[in-house]
Amino acid sequence: MPPSTHHTQQILLSRRELLKATLIGGGLALSGFSLLHWLKGPLLTASTFIGKAKDYQGDLAHLIRMGMQELGITSANLTGKRILLKPNLVEPHRAAPHINTHPLVVRGAIEAFLGLGAASVVVAEGPGHRHDALLVLEESGLGDVLYDDRIPFHDLNMMEGIAVPNKGKQTKLATLTFPRIIQEVDWIVSIAKMKTHHWAGATLSMKNFFGMMPGIYYGWPKNVLHQEGIPQSILDINATLQPHFAIIDGITGMEGDGPIMGTPIEAGVIVMGRNLPAVDATCCRIMGIDPSRITYLKKADQWLGPIHELAIEQRGETWQSVHTPFALEPDIPAHQGIRL
Amino acid sequence: MNPSSIITEIVSVQLPDGGFPYHPGEHSRVDATSWAVIALSLMEGSPDACHRGKTFLVNQQHEDGRISIAVDHPQASWPTALAILAWGADPLFKQSRELAVRFLLNFSGKHWAKLENSIMGHDPSIIGWPWIADTHSWVIPTAMAIMALQRSGIENHPRIFQGVNMLLDRQLSHGGWNSGNTLVFGKELYPLPECTGIALQALAGNTERQVIEPSLSYLLEQLPHLRTPISLGWALLGLSAWGEQPEQSEEMIDQSLQRQKRHGSYSLPSLALLMCAAKASYGKNWLSPSISIEASSFLHPQTKA
Repeated sequence: MPPSTHHTQQILLSRRELLKATLIGGGLALSGFSLLHWLKGPLLTASTFIGKAKDYQGDLAHLIRMGMQELGITSANLTGKRILLKPNLVEPHRAAPHINTHPLVVRGAIEAFLGLGAASVVVAEGPGHRHDALLVLEESGLGDVLYDDRIPFHDLNMMEGIAVPNKGKQTKLATLTFPRIIQEVDWIVSIAKMKTHHWAGATLSMKNFFGMMPGIYYGWPKNVLHQEGIPQSILDINATLQPHFAIIDGITGMEGDGPIMGTPIEAGVIVMGRNLPAVDATCCRIMGIDPSRITYLKKADQWLGPIHELAIEQRGETWQSVHTPFALEPDIPAHQGIRL
Repeated sequence: MNPSSIITEIVSVQLPDGGFPYHPGEHSRVDATSWAVIALSLMEGSPDACHRGKTFLVNQQHEDGRISIAVDHPQASWPTALAILAWGADPLFKQSRELAVRFLLNFSGKHWAKLENSIMGHDPSIIGWPWIADTHSWVIPTAMAIMALQRSGIENHPRIFQGVNMLLDRQLSHGGWNSGNTLVFGKELYPLPECTGIALQALAGNTERQVIEPSLSYLLEQLPHLRTPISLGWALLGLSAWGEQPEQSEEMIDQSLQRQKRHGSYSLPSLALLMCAAKASYGKNWLSPSISIEASSFLHPQTKA
């Protein structure tokens, strides 16, 4: 299991200083930030990076590397490290490429990590809806990229697992069974797609880890996790797995009835960070969704990371400058009342 | 394809405990062992390896008859149907098979009445089999259970009727199956070739052709694009179960095997599935019922014309 860290900074502000800033800024209290959080203890903060990319043909490796640099990740952090990239390939269809993380974003990440000295990169996925992971690779276009780049792929659905105590304790599951490959890597990276979700509101870097859980233990489509509750399972997986980095493909996202049947939307961004709730909260704002109304993010706030705007240091573009409201479906309960 | 070299390849990875690994170098697994035994039995090769594989499965069987994917995951009992198929009609394993069959007949997913304004298209009250205990029933485990029961000579059991009905309820209106969702929030979801092939295999002899004709069309349309072993293997099996034997089957299987240069060595279950599909393309569909069943006497009342 990788070392335990949530990649957040704990800052001890003088309560008078923060209160003064709050009153001057006026935004903190008005935007719903709970003063109780920081009155209880240190405030969790994190940095996220937003980079513009109008399409997939640009130098995405350069953009990702620039983002890493902005986030303070250097070769000192990555030299000799073994990296696992977990894309979102839930259910590829040739006619609907916007369902999945674009293969060129994965290639950009591979090049960025190797360029910063990583010892190895593997790509792994346990598609939520598919038994045939190789067909998923082919239909998503990722197979060509991995073959050309000589990067191994692992089918997590069929991989033997290791059971570890559930650190999140939001579901009834005493243990979670992760694929054994997590013992063989140093960094676990979620390379997710920016999408709305008809059960969870939004699916981003945290929800992407449903695909980490082997189907041989959890079923298709991850039946045990749905049974236990999607928000609760997202929290348990992330609290226990403690992933190291997130890259969100928001160049073309999915709006409407995601994660499968929605329509493409050009948001033109890559969002990155070491703290996944902060990354997902930033993505929500870009999508025009209030992160505090996404159940799992609200619960994650100041536990697994910050979601409040004032607790997230923004690098690169501001979310306001790339704000691209994603269409929500009024008939879908998870979409109701979440508009920013 | 050279079947004898694949048999040799499969036998060569058998472990001292009689089981087979998912990939060479790994531990024995019940799913991989079941598939290895199924393929070896079909090719009538290595009876000793088959016997040792079947014995390994007996040793993994829980007291209540289930075979779970791992001892510490008894809830994940989906390999039970595979083990029944592996034991086949071998009289030496009758006791284990019957115990497993009893387990399957007494095991089902979570089901509930369909609400009037349900956001889901399918009828969740129709009983089938789940992947994992205490979760809903889905297409693949239900199809595998039907095949296992019928291979065991179980004919007119209500659970088979229910399972067939469940599969028909989950068939997409434009043809094909996915993991088991038809409509969600009013949108019909996409069909998947592997799920469609398995469902068609299980329904052969259990319903009339016109009921599944759109699904056959879907698979035939997909076939030219399929070269990965799971989708191609199940597509060919599903088609052959309904008398459709595409002329290029053997060539497609060869092309699939060639693609190991790109994907790396296939898992043992994938190789075994391709062998089953190759055999089926010559008219021997090993997964079809072991005993002659008069289709007309077996049809569920709701599926009769």
